[in-house]
Amino acid sequence: MELTDADLVARVLVDDDQHAFGELVRRHQSTVRGLLRQLTRTDIALADDLAQETFIRAYKNIRSFRGEARFSTWLYRIAYNCFREDARRRKEVVGVDEEQWQAEHDPQTVDPGLRHDLMHALSLLPLHERTAIVLCCQNGLSHDEASRVLDIPLGTVKTNVLRGREKLKRTLAAWGPN
Amino acid sequence: MIDDETLDRQLREAAPYVDDEGFTARVMAKLPAAPREPQWLRAVILVGLALLGSGVAYLLSGGGRFVREGVIQLAGFPIWLLLVFAFGCGLVVGAFAVIVAIRKTPEVRDVARLRF
Repeated sequence: MELTDADLVARVLVDDDQHAFGELVRRHQSTVRGLLRQLTRTDIALADDLAQETFIRAYKNIRSFRGEARFSTWLYRIAYNCFREDARRRKEVVGVDEEQWQAEHDPQTVDPGLRHDLMHALSLLPLHERTAIVLCCQNGLSHDEASRVLDIPLGTVKTNVLRGREKLKRTLAAWGPN
Repeated sequence: MIDDETLDRQLREAAPYVDDEGFTARVMAKLPAAPREPQWLRAVILVGLALLGSGVAYLLSGGGRFVREGVIQLAGFPIWLLLVFAFGCGLVVGAFAVIVAIRKTPEVRDVARLRF
């Protein structure tokens, strides 16, 4: 019988069982690294560095995990905070304004050599919409869980998902079938 | 234009599984070492409590008279009964020791998939 995340967390808390924490890392490394690759617009080296930092912070702060939410939701929150702190450090512009986004996704200006696929369209979204789409539509989090991960109101999450979806649909429609 | 459900399904399918490729090992190598309790302290506390408990029992029992009387009573029992009693005590203590050992050994715990 496979141990649940809650069982593994309990072993880490009670027995300082690093073997159990290793199993948690193995289980969640793909989704955490995938999320961070989306946030960093496929900068794989940066995403993996942030993912490593995420799991190390999770281990150091595992006593603050109360079990009210899923362990994966708690991990996503740490990952998102790592990303934001890194972006602040790099003084990255964390949002693309609407005019710039419109210019980027205008089919007349898009480089025909670039792949016109869903993941590319996703990377063109502003950060707040891209994050909401990745968490809710790709990783299956509820709007409530996503609002806790991102520390923003529930209504804002819903708006970002709605707008993100509409933009993706318009972009894919403009590019036409592959 | 595609509907929400189709878009979400395509998003999920487009998200590739990221192979571990040593990522977990790199994370584990960077974890801080698990703090170790000083084992001698635990032994001192246990032995101290055992001695304290023995001393209190000796004083309250009037110099251990109950032990002498208990031994005299035991000597009156048949040998086979004493052997069964000793074997039973040994089984109980052994079973308890095995359970504690399994709980403390992660590798055996995973293989046995036992839950206590």
